[in-house]
Amino acid sequence: MKTNFKKIAKDGILTNNPTLKLVLGTCPTLALTTMAMNGIGMGAAVTFVLICSNVLISLLRKIIPNQVRIPAFVLIIATFVTIVRLLLDKLLPDIYESLGLYLPLIVVNCIILARAESFASKNPILASAADGLFMGLGFTLALTLMGAVRELLGSGAIFGVKLWDFQIGFFAQSAGAFFTYGIFIALFALISNLIEKKKKQKTLAVNEIGAEV
Amino acid sequence: MKKFFKSDWFKCTAVLLGLLIVLGGTLAVLNDVLFVSPEERTARAISKFYDTTPSYEVILDADAENSKREENQFGYIEKIFEIGDETLFKSTGINGYKGGTITLWLKVVKNEQGYKIEKIVLDGYEKQTLMSKFDAKYFRTFTDVTFDYENKNSIFSPKNNGEGLTAPMTGATYSANAACNAVNCVLAYLGGME
Repeated sequence: MKTNFKKIAKDGILTNNPTLKLVLGTCPTLALTTMAMNGIGMGAAVTFVLICSNVLISLLRKIIPNQVRIPAFVLIIATFVTIVRLLLDKLLPDIYESLGLYLPLIVVNCIILARAESFASKNPILASAADGLFMGLGFTLALTLMGAVRELLGSGAIFGVKLWDFQIGFFAQSAGAFFTYGIFIALFALISNLIEKKKKQKTLAVNEIGAEV
Repeated sequence: MKKFFKSDWFKCTAVLLGLLIVLGGTLAVLNDVLFVSPEERTARAISKFYDTTPSYEVILDADAENSKREENQFGYIEKIFEIGDETLFKSTGINGYKGGTITLWLKVVKNEQGYKIEKIVLDGYEKQTLMSKFDAKYFRTFTDVTFDYENKNSIFSPKNNGEGLTAPMTGATYSANAACNAVNCVLAYLGGME
């Protein structure tokens, strides 16, 4: 069976965006998006864990018995999360500190277990790696965009660079996180629906022309 | 016997044990390779205050042999380094949220009038859940006061109740208490409370 990488990429970033469409990984999304840089750091960590765990789970999918698949997946995910922690603590201590408690909590991130269960355990290695990469990218993009908006409005800066003194404290607080997340989900749904509607109209028009001919 | 080796029970146990051994072994090796030594952590902390690593004199290092941390009612100091007129303290404040602690690095500058906290950097914490509120802006609230003989009995308080100097923090008062205690611990050590 040929792997459709284009579909996997579109699924991960747009159609099934884990943060804005599937509403998974909400806890780090709300807690860490006070700064755009946090989004990139968390996104990169989750992407690494997603790719590695997807590859290993796909590799072992015929060996792991169905009855113990969930504990086996959690064991694999926890190992890669620990590796990310060790790597960040050694090589990027500033990002390690800013992610704090949310880094070990990647173990219980729904996106990773969901992709392991619904994709990696049923697909070949290359497709699983691509799924991990694009799901991770979708998560990173959503977190970075939300972080950029909250940082810009909440502290008048972007990626730590101060742009102006005007700031709305609400956006830097927890309530602001929920509000921004809600707006992002609504906008994403609106744009997705508009694109879907246009596609349907186009298909209808083509069908009508076909029928006339 | 053959039946036992073909049973689901055996397969499940063998796979989980196999995973445990391989992944555990990998982690053990990586843990050794990527270990961050206490010296490296100290160098990292110092680099947050200075562009280049300066030479420093160790006044106190609780990690060293036959050395004890300095304790008082606010918490304890584990490291003190002297760099010219400046002193770096690693101080831990107690009585935070759920009885937890907050550990800070403080740069204190001495001059003829007294001493002044110039910069504070968060080092770590235990049991605190709202640490995202404690950014550089919050820690700057501690750095405006020079501690001379007139206000030597001053301490910081997380509640704006008129008792001593305040470093108000709403919504995370327990954690703010531990942060204030970490600062007050250094003030007490310096003689401001004695």
